[in-house]
Amino acid sequence: MTSITTFQHKMGAHCESGTVTALLNHGGLNITEPMLFGISSGLFFGYFHKHKSFTFPTFIVRSRPGDMRKNSQKRLGVRYKTFSFRDPVKGTAVLDSLLEKQIPVASQVDFFYLDYVPTWERVHINVHFMVIFGKEGDEYIISDSYFPKPVKLPAESLKRGRFAGGNMSPKGFLFYPVSIDTDIDLKEPILKGIRKTCFNMLSLPVPFIGIKGIRMFARKVTDWPKFARDTEHLSHEIMKINILLEDQGTGGAGFRFMYASFLQQAAPVIQKPDLLELSEEMMLIGDKWREISLFAARIGKNRDLGSDRLQELSEQIMDRADAEEQFFQKLKRTIR
Amino acid sequence: MKEQEGYVDCPEQQMILYVEKDDGQYGPIQTGSFITKHYLEDWALKRNNLIKSLKDQLNRNEISPIKFFMVLEDLTLSELVSRSGIPSRRVKKHLTPAGYSSITKEQLDRYSTVFNVDVERLQRCDPEPVDVTDERNL
Repeated sequence: MTSITTFQHKMGAHCESGTVTALLNHGGLNITEPMLFGISSGLFFGYFHKHKSFTFPTFIVRSRPGDMRKNSQKRLGVRYKTFSFRDPVKGTAVLDSLLEKQIPVASQVDFFYLDYVPTWERVHINVHFMVIFGKEGDEYIISDSYFPKPVKLPAESLKRGRFAGGNMSPKGFLFYPVSIDTDIDLKEPILKGIRKTCFNMLSLPVPFIGIKGIRMFARKVTDWPKFARDTEHLSHEIMKINILLEDQGTGGAGFRFMYASFLQQAAPVIQKPDLLELSEEMMLIGDKWREISLFAARIGKNRDLGSDRLQELSEQIMDRADAEEQFFQKLKRTIR
Repeated sequence: MKEQEGYVDCPEQQMILYVEKDDGQYGPIQTGSFITKHYLEDWALKRNNLIKSLKDQLNRNEISPIKFFMVLEDLTLSELVSRSGIPSRRVKKHLTPAGYSSITKEQLDRYSTVFNVDVERLQRCDPEPVDVTDERNL
């Protein structure tokens, strides 16, 4: 039996920011999940009308998986040791040897194979992150940010999750920090994180990313019936808007509430009181995203999916694009 | 969002939500999933109807068990090819009843790993039942 008793399990809003924060906290850096999320420019928007890996149009509200770790490396000076494997046997041996050395290690897995997840929540997502911090017999002890307590996972299930194929396949990916500057001044990392988020939301020259992506989502959502098998399928996909914004580890409103919390925490560090006003504004923007979530859930449940309702949904999303465009322009000016 | 508005009584699925606390500070609370609390049964109803519709197609000899699970688990052809490691041309064949009849045991094993269902259930098109009272994460 191996268990790293000094590792503290804590729930997080999101799997990657929760996992990276937990490892940094374990290594002695006192940083909150919103601060890590903001510094690593986690806030994002991307709309995918057609994609070879998705059966239906969808959207994302966070940066590319792995970027929170990479950006924390660049901006906080953390050095990570990373591993990828072709051979599951070798991948398991390395994991076990790290646990023997009392090193809690982050693992990338396909969420679908996690036996401790209720069956209705299981979907194929190859970019779920969690910390493995022990092994008892043939079960690993897992700290998964989405669960109130540590959980156990059979070795065979973990192997399936770590070595699932498909888009962004995990390839057994593991990482842990080997060097952390626990006295780092957060001022410059915060400024860099905000600048990059503003760039991603306002200036990336890609029509389906950032504010342009929100507008594309607004325009295209009225086309969704064309992709649906039947009304129940359309209802399912419309209700997934709620899941993507609220339930898939966002801290609510597609990460907008967590970003508001980041701005509030960042204001005194970078000595910009204007950020406090902007954090309030981001909270209000989040409230409106949450109204969209609830509207989508309601019309989906009621099968009230006629063109007028989808137009209403489209207008609400377009309104968020306008609000976020103004918000990020103000944020960009504030930290200039 | 104000803290009082954030609480949802749903022990089956807990989550972290960021809210405005009474003192004006923003921070996390542990709460329940709104959609699981209010709409889980609707989701189960739609899944059961989808299973029924796919079984009707199976009985009419329009689709194979591989197609059954591919649709049920919301996988594209590209994803199924990549996850199973079986060439695209063969996977396309296996989606039809005629092509499925020539499937090998090794290919069935690969599909069963992808769908996380044993081979017998895969062949019978008998997915694990979804228990909406599942309290695994209590």
